Amino acid sequence: MVTFNDAVADLLGVDGFSPLVEFIVGIVGASIVVSVMLTIIGISAVWLKRKWNARLGDRIAVNRIGPAGLMVMPADALKLFSKEVVVPEDVDRIGYKLAPMLAAATVLAAFAFIPFGSGLQIADPETGLIFALAFASLSAVPVVMAGYSSKNKYSFLGFEREVAQAIAYEIPLVVSALAVVPLVAVFADTSAPLRMSNVVTAQQGPLLGVTGLPIPNWFIFAQPVAAVLFFVSILAEFSRNPFDLPEAGSELVAGYLTEYGGVNFVLLFLAEFAAIYFGGALFTALFLGGGSGPVLPAVVWFLGKTFVFYLVVQWFRATIPRVRIDQLLEFGWKYLLELTFLNLLLTAGILWVVL
Amino acid sequence: MSVVTRRHEELHETIEDELPDAILDFDEHHNAPAVVANPSRVDDVVRILKQNGYNHLSSVSAVEYDNRYESVYHLRRITDDREDFDEINVVAPADPDEPAVETVSDVFKGANWHEREAYDLMGIRYDNHPDMRRILLPETWKGHPLRDEYDVDQPQYTTLEAHANPIEERYEVENDAALDTMFLNIGPHHPATHGVLHLKTVLDGEVVVDVDPDIGYLHRCEEYLCERLDYKYQIMPYPDRWDYVSAGMLNEMAYARCIEDLAEIDVPEYAQVIRVLAQELSRIAAHMLAVGTFALDIYGELNVIFMYAFKDREIVQEMLEDLSGQRLMFNYLRLGGVAYDLPEPRDEWFGKIRGFLDDLPGKMDEYRSLLEGNELLRKRAEGTGILEPETAKEYGCTGPVLRGSGVGYDVREVDPYGYYDELDWDVVTYDGCDNLSRVLVRLGEVEESARLVEQCVDILESWDGDREIQSRVPRSITPPAETENYTAVEGAKGELGIHIVSDGTEKPHRFKIRSPCFSNLAVFSELAEGEYLADMIATLGSLDLVFGEVDR
Amino acid sequence: MMGVLRSLGVTAKHALKGDTFTVEYPDESPGISPRFRGTHKFSLSRCIWCRMCEEVCPNGTIDIKTNEKREGEEYNLNLGQCIYCRLCEEVCPVDAIILTQHFELNAGTKAELEYNMDDLMDVPWYKGMDPLEAREPDRGAWIGTDEEDDVWETAESTYAD
Repeated sequence: MVTFNDAVADLLGVDGFSPLVEFIVGIVGASIVVSVMLTIIGISAVWLKRKWNARLGDRIAVNRIGPAGLMVMPADALKLFSKEVVVPEDVDRIGYKLAPMLAAATVLAAFAFIPFGSGLQIADPETGLIFALAFASLSAVPVVMAGYSSKNKYSFLGFEREVAQAIAYEIPLVVSALAVVPLVAVFADTSAPLRMSNVVTAQQGPLLGVTGLPIPNWFIFAQPVAAVLFFVSILAEFSRNPFDLPEAGSELVAGYLTEYGGVNFVLLFLAEFAAIYFGGALFTALFLGGGSGPVLPAVVWFLGKTFVFYLVVQWFRATIPRVRIDQLLEFGWKYLLELTFLNLLLTAGILWVVL
Repeated sequence: MSVVTRRHEELHETIEDELPDAILDFDEHHNAPAVVANPSRVDDVVRILKQNGYNHLSSVSAVEYDNRYESVYHLRRITDDREDFDEINVVAPADPDEPAVETVSDVFKGANWHEREAYDLMGIRYDNHPDMRRILLPETWKGHPLRDEYDVDQPQYTTLEAHANPIEERYEVENDAALDTMFLNIGPHHPATHGVLHLKTVLDGEVVVDVDPDIGYLHRCEEYLCERLDYKYQIMPYPDRWDYVSAGMLNEMAYARCIEDLAEIDVPEYAQVIRVLAQELSRIAAHMLAVGTFALDIYGELNVIFMYAFKDREIVQEMLEDLSGQRLMFNYLRLGGVAYDLPEPRDEWFGKIRGFLDDLPGKMDEYRSLLEGNELLRKRAEGTGILEPETAKEYGCTGPVLRGSGVGYDVREVDPYGYYDELDWDVVTYDGCDNLSRVLVRLGEVEESARLVEQCVDILESWDGDREIQSRVPRSITPPAETENYTAVEGAKGELGIHIVSDGTEKPHRFKIRSPCFSNLAVFSELAEGEYLADMIATLGSLDLVFGEVDR
Repeated sequence: MMGVLRSLGVTAKHALKGDTFTVEYPDESPGISPRFRGTHKFSLSRCIWCRMCEEVCPNGTIDIKTNEKREGEEYNLNLGQCIYCRLCEEVCPVDAIILTQHFELNAGTKAELEYNMDDLMDVPWYKGMDPLEAREPDRGAWIGTDEEDDVWETAESTYAD
């Protein structure tokens, strides 16, 4: 199989054998993916969010700058980047400045493991899924750094919430994702079911041997409970409504973001939206068949599905109230954790019986 | 002899029997009889009255006279029986040089804040008051601004030492246990304080241990302002600015009722119907905003309920604009009527209202399924911010806050004014005592207001009599000297009362605004302590505070 | 859970319908009522310098200067301070001051909002709307007659003299 890196090497006209060449190829490949993702995130964070939310709320939203207001993105970027970088006096300067970079870096690095389809995948290690989930968990670290180093009580409360929330929803996230792994092993007939490309490959056929039906073998149909649990865990892991407690606008001003402005804020903001996309990409790869779909190229399907995921997240944000911290933890530890394990055991049990 | 008169006579006897040395005199105010009490025994008098059923302390106002200060307590009976409604005033004259009155805050907890306000603005000291601090003005303020002798031009600068950190000692760490808590200033600029409220909060983890609301950031001395304007026209634009979120018509009615009562001005029936129509439209707009902002507090920014509520408020506001010429600062009511007749073409305007009323049930269904039906919201709002009816009465809470605790006290119902008595409507109560109930009361009241509006439109459409919008009002209004009147109307947030003391000129001698938000906020620490931080914010939203009215 | 789903349904319905309520302001002007109270317009030819407006103004926004023969010299109005209560228009016996529907004001400093007589006369009519058509101000209480037309005639004749 031709990997993405080989394709990039071909494009650059080099043979990918010496370490230097591999390094250059890797950098170029990563830049391509990151640019694509940044464009998409830029569109959705600045423009689509406003448009979609306005539509839910019977409004018009941005439509002045450029066609359908699309040029609001460069305008906003210019505005945000030209702002003065204010570093409050008493902050822990290292942590304060490092946190935004780390936030953006971790979440963008996580995209390396995402099989966008059409061969677009930077790294495809045998334990790709675990890597991806590990990077998802890493996203809590910069939040903690930002909150702790800001020396602001609201930031402090925000990061405390993030820690509690990340720990509570970490396990359900991983365990609900693991529920698809046995299915991957069965459908893709592979000994490396954690490899992300295999996860997608396993979902290409029709559903469960029932031929003639056009329903594809996406794991959302084979594992609906796991899909719902994973969705909830993703929302909590990346602090989206109804679990957006770390930045809870009406309670904590802006939570861990309170002291940030200018470029630093842009990076944290970007990381937040990238995280939604990363969550969407994971969900797409695990449950929505990755890039599977008719006519259009796989990568278009993949990005389309993540867009839909993003819209759903914003739709939830507009409709569902934020839960309280104790309710959040109670739900995480008392219900979600048990349900995910139960689901995993059931999956294993059923497969054991069937096979 | 009516029940009320008989009761007053019995009361006279009871008070005289039990507290012979506490009573100085009996007086007659325009709204109710008054008991002139010995300032050092006024708490006993109020206690006796409370035992006799006067269970609601509306307001405490301080009045300055040439030879004395007076602290006036307005007491009311809140019962389910409308016939039983009654009011009585207690007057405590105080020494002109060193005014001091015994506190009644141990009888009515709600008196605490009212007395602090009287101390702050008029300088009457309340003995044995648990917390005799300034409330509206900064603690370093010099002088008491409502006194005649107060020099407005006096500089108010404060040295850094005097103002270094006024809260430092109060919250200094005393022992290890205090290290477990965190002091947090919420506001005055905070997204959820709906204006400029400063909450001095002590948190234990996420749980609120102690909260002390600090108000006065929006104090504009509205009372002082009104005391310098004439009754007939000049005061009327100002009520719009107390509760400035579209409740202007209700505020104007509060003033109109008080002075029309005092100066004995009649209002033509046609104008009364228009007044009710305008008021209820105003109430719908105000409640829509309350519901929307409550949702904003619980859901976070970007929620759509706020947008829907704002949209519906906007429709109402356009009707009010057509009627009065402004969207918020209406200045539409006049003494003896309203400023102008309904906008022409009348049919078109009625059509607008009817269109809104026809759409309303569908919209209310949406609100209900978004708020009442949503399990996650119920989880957040049910059982939080519990306000027991007894506590509510103790603090003088009124309006949807009180009705959310199951007490059906509505000034329109018990002490009817204007045209409300002729119309068919119900008082909405819920007895959940929690945040959700308070919001549901508002939703219910929107529907009741819509009913009233519909009846008014019916009446106005078929009106064939004289369209008299104003009665003949004397060129200048001068109530006799030293007459006092306290009347209240049901504002958007509760009992909005005006206490006017006249000195025989065209301008009031004392103009006291009894703001419902002020009393509703006074109870806030009772509701919030022991709750989670998030619920405290939700509770604040459910009280529906407007700081123009709290601080005045 | 059903309630949450129903809530999602409600918002989805709004999104699918795609109705918008807001207007694109400068291109499309919001509906202004005929009675709307905006910037003042002053008519020097009508004014009889009776100073009633100055007297009734609740917060001293209007400042009139006359010479010793009580002929008007200056008519100043601080729009930044005005509360738009419309009492000046209501009290004016000759409609010399009128609140137009014009509401689009901007200024770099507070001082720019202190309008003098010429500024007030230059205030444009908003879309040619004459506010008086929509109002039947309560003149009777002020000048002792209920007949609007009389007022106009009085005004005209005053001017003619």
